[in-house]
Amino acid sequence: VISRVLLVALVLAIAACTYPGVLIESAAVRLSSSRAATSQAAPGAMPWLHVEHPAQGAPYIADELGRMVLLHGAIPASLLEFGASATASPGPPTYPIGPAAYEGRCPDTLAGGLYPPLCQADLVQMASFGFNSLRLPLVWSLLEPERGHFNELYVERIAQIVDWARALGMYVIIDMHQNAYSAYVGAGPGVDLTTNSGAPAWATITDGMPSRELAKGKRETNPAAVEAFSNFWYNRDGIQAEYIDAIAHLAERFKNDSTVAGFSVFNEPQPGWNLPPGFEDLLLFPFYRRVIDAITGVGDGIPCWTGFFMPAPCGYPDPGIHDLHHLVFLDTGLAREITDFPTHLGMPLSSYANVVLSMHAYTHIYTFDALAGQTLEHATYPWGGYDQSYFFADREAKAMNAALFVAEFGDSPSQDPLILANQVLEEERHRVGFAFWVWKESGSGGWGMFDPPPAGASNAPSSGCLRADRERLLARIYPRAAGDPNLTYHYDSDTGAFTLSARGSAAGPATVVYIPPEARGAVAVAGAEQVTDVRPDGSRLVTATPSGGDFSITVAPAALVLSGCG
Amino acid sequence: MRDRSATRALVLGVLSLPFGLLAPFAIWSGTRSLVRIRASEGELKGANQALAGLLGGGLGLVALVAGAAYWLLSS
Repeated sequence: VISRVLLVALVLAIAACTYPGVLIESAAVRLSSSRAATSQAAPGAMPWLHVEHPAQGAPYIADELGRMVLLHGAIPASLLEFGASATASPGPPTYPIGPAAYEGRCPDTLAGGLYPPLCQADLVQMASFGFNSLRLPLVWSLLEPERGHFNELYVERIAQIVDWARALGMYVIIDMHQNAYSAYVGAGPGVDLTTNSGAPAWATITDGMPSRELAKGKRETNPAAVEAFSNFWYNRDGIQAEYIDAIAHLAERFKNDSTVAGFSVFNEPQPGWNLPPGFEDLLLFPFYRRVIDAITGVGDGIPCWTGFFMPAPCGYPDPGIHDLHHLVFLDTGLAREITDFPTHLGMPLSSYANVVLSMHAYTHIYTFDALAGQTLEHATYPWGGYDQSYFFADREAKAMNAALFVAEFGDSPSQDPLILANQVLEEERHRVGFAFWVWKESGSGGWGMFDPPPAGASNAPSSGCLRADRERLLARIYPRAAGDPNLTYHYDSDTGAFTLSARGSAAGPATVVYIPPEARGAVAVAGAEQVTDVRPDGSRLVTATPSGGDFSITVAPAALVLSGCG
Repeated sequence: MRDRSATRALVLGVLSLPFGLLAPFAIWSGTRSLVRIRASEGELKGANQALAGLLGGGLGLVALVAGAAYWLLSS
């Protein structure tokens, strides 16, 4: 009898830590009332964003009036730290961390750097494309170089960029970034760590695994990085808890700042040695729940000791921050990026209302077809084309009770007519905002919105000229705020024409459409009262207050006036 | 003598908790083992393992079906 009881208890204990336990916890989260602050921003501050949960339809990012907000922006990668080159020579230089180096000036672009420094003029340039947000990648190794000691200078540098954004009316998504876990996974034969970034050395536990690329040119296949990821998910030596504390530290600093749209918790999480869907459902999403518990204090998980492996139902102790305003952006696992297909069950993970599912849209770049060496023209996957990823992401987000956001997409400039053009069309079709990777790039990758700066030039500018296709496709006419979350709209970046159709009650919340200076067509509004604000840079903001019923906003075709290079 | 299916059922039952697709196999092995053990009139042992495997498989199957149903209904 004792043997039977022990065996049954063992099975029940394992069940509690795996899918049955996770499902029960998700059901509890789903049935409990959702929690978030409802107070408005102080006068003069940017409106708080939140996730609106309509009784019918999918959740969406909204402003204080409940209008759907589309965030358009780019990703400047200048605050990252990278590792050494394959010849063990020092890696790309890191720009000054202290904000003083950027007050009224901009440090020189350094030879060998992957990205130029991020300066106030960059945000002004972003705003000129109509970007109302930026996703700002940070790196844990610079935030917490020593265990338990945060680099406040780095935090103030982040605050400086947030201040610049506030002055321009742009939101900032603070992104805890990483690539292949860390710059400190160790040297190995032919291993180039110059694009590795993330965890500090003290949080990189490789257990002596060799550092080498099992697939050439694929930093993610390095066994040392894979082991380090596994140890992070298992909270070896409490490093996951330290990471949660680091995000909580940022949340404490910015909890009253409505310019910060929210926190992106972990960029492109790799599973380590774990397999989907268990990786996401049993390790990644429970980790996200702990982060939300720490930031907001909603306390969805059960209390556990944080110094050792925390099973899926474990929450995180409340450090007393109680930030109930900010959005929390949650990346799916890296496998989803390769498959364009859900690699998790999509269960609600928190009772916190402001959860956003972040998808990375890299169809034909990192999907199976590209990894198999197929060319763009002859790709046999994804079977559902570009839409496949968005079709499923809509459903994943809805199942998780989360809004959806494209936290990363980008491509080589030569692929813009196909990849970039299709991605922005999908984003329109699915009414989802985006962050474009990458803002400026001075290395050889060449994915930036601008050409790299001229090589070898003294006092080199931060970039070459603006790439014309990027300007044409990314400086878009789009609704920044819409009273009708079911609106449809389309911008034709070849002709400059735009159409928007929506419904609204009389004197209901206004819909605001941004028209970049590149688009010169005449505006016509039907079924709504129109106010057009022409701004000093030539851009226009059309505010349409519905008269009751259907209304439309159109911009007539007109040749685009592009300022970029050919 | 211990019934081999009982051990198999226990392993599959435990594994079906994180990997729900194994649940039907755990249930099949556990059920078959229990039937054989009862029919052996004491000659075969391992009923506890088979029962635990059956329990694990059952929980794994319920989780799998509930998770899939939630996905289909809520999305």
